[in-house]
Amino acid sequence: MNEDLQLKLQAYLDGELPSGEARAVAELLARDSAARALLAELTNTRDAILSHEADIKVPESREFYWSKIRRQIDREEQAAPAIKTISFSERIRRFLVPAGAVATVAIAVMLTFPGNSVNGDAFTDVADADAFTYHDYESGTTLVWLDYPDENILPESESDDTLDL
Amino acid sequence: MADMDYSAAQDAELVQASRTGDMVAFEQLVARHRDKIYARAYMMMRNEEEAVDLSQEAWVKAWQRLVQFQGDSSFTTWMTRIVINLCLDQLRKRKRQRAESIEAMEEESGGVERQMPVVMVNPTERLERAELRVRIDDALGKLSEAHRTVLVLHEFEHMEYKNIAKTMKCSIGTVMSRLFYARRKMAVLLQDLKTSE
Repeated sequence: MNEDLQLKLQAYLDGELPSGEARAVAELLARDSAARALLAELTNTRDAILSHEADIKVPESREFYWSKIRRQIDREEQAAPAIKTISFSERIRRFLVPAGAVATVAIAVMLTFPGNSVNGDAFTDVADADAFTYHDYESGTTLVWLDYPDENILPESESDDTLDL
Repeated sequence: MADMDYSAAQDAELVQASRTGDMVAFEQLVARHRDKIYARAYMMMRNEEEAVDLSQEAWVKAWQRLVQFQGDSSFTTWMTRIVINLCLDQLRKRKRQRAESIEAMEEESGGVERQMPVVMVNPTERLERAELRVRIDDALGKLSEAHRTVLVLHEFEHMEYKNIAKTMKCSIGTVMSRLFYARRKMAVLLQDLKTSE
């Protein structure tokens, strides 16, 4: 008996065959003793397995079993709001840390060029040094990125050796 | 819900009460169906401790998801699906840990068992019920997880081939093959157990 026929017999037993194919299998069973024997084996095994399930019981008392479920439910319900709080504070922290860093840089720039800030030259000097700014009107925050001239422009004697333009 | 007679209430009433936070109602549901849910986990995992843990996890999930239960199926069917999915997840984790694919069962889906002579003896006729239960339990334990799972879903959950395929994320052909192998293997194991007496 080939594999296809074996699986068809099983599908016949399980009621999974379309009516046309089921009729064909029924006709085969009427004339083929090997097919009948295999179907009987599959049926017996199925029935034996089905008789097995009813006796499986939880190996713990009702109270003990339930107490563990109850504790877990309570634990997870208590944990849920805590996670939300952490998420919110984490969001705040993520906003404040870079904002604080930018503010520190801005203050440092102002302290480094105190004289220029009086007559308005500071803005020009910073702009000449490839600085650019971003202002967030919603939060009222200004971000300033700076490249200092003396970090990028080498002394003439060194630049002659290293820059190949 | 103070006037509710929990032990006499229908499952649907207990579910409704549980949805409003009534733990006593939910405890009643657990008490009613815990054996069935545990049995399903045990049949799939073959380990008491794991089955207890997974069945309890299923109850916790059920409590958290009660709003999702629409009542299209019975409460026990819904609960059983939860525990089966947890067991399948656990089995997949276990398979990954063993670097062994749950899908790679070709070597067992055909081969020797397909060619075995038919077992003529009906095991239910010759063994006492309690003894038969022990023997079947032993035989189930000798099947691979994939074959046992197909058997459990088909015989106990009465799931159609296509639904088993969907649940196990495999083809209908694979389901049919595994089921056939599992049944034939069980027949041989039960026969062996009897002849070895």
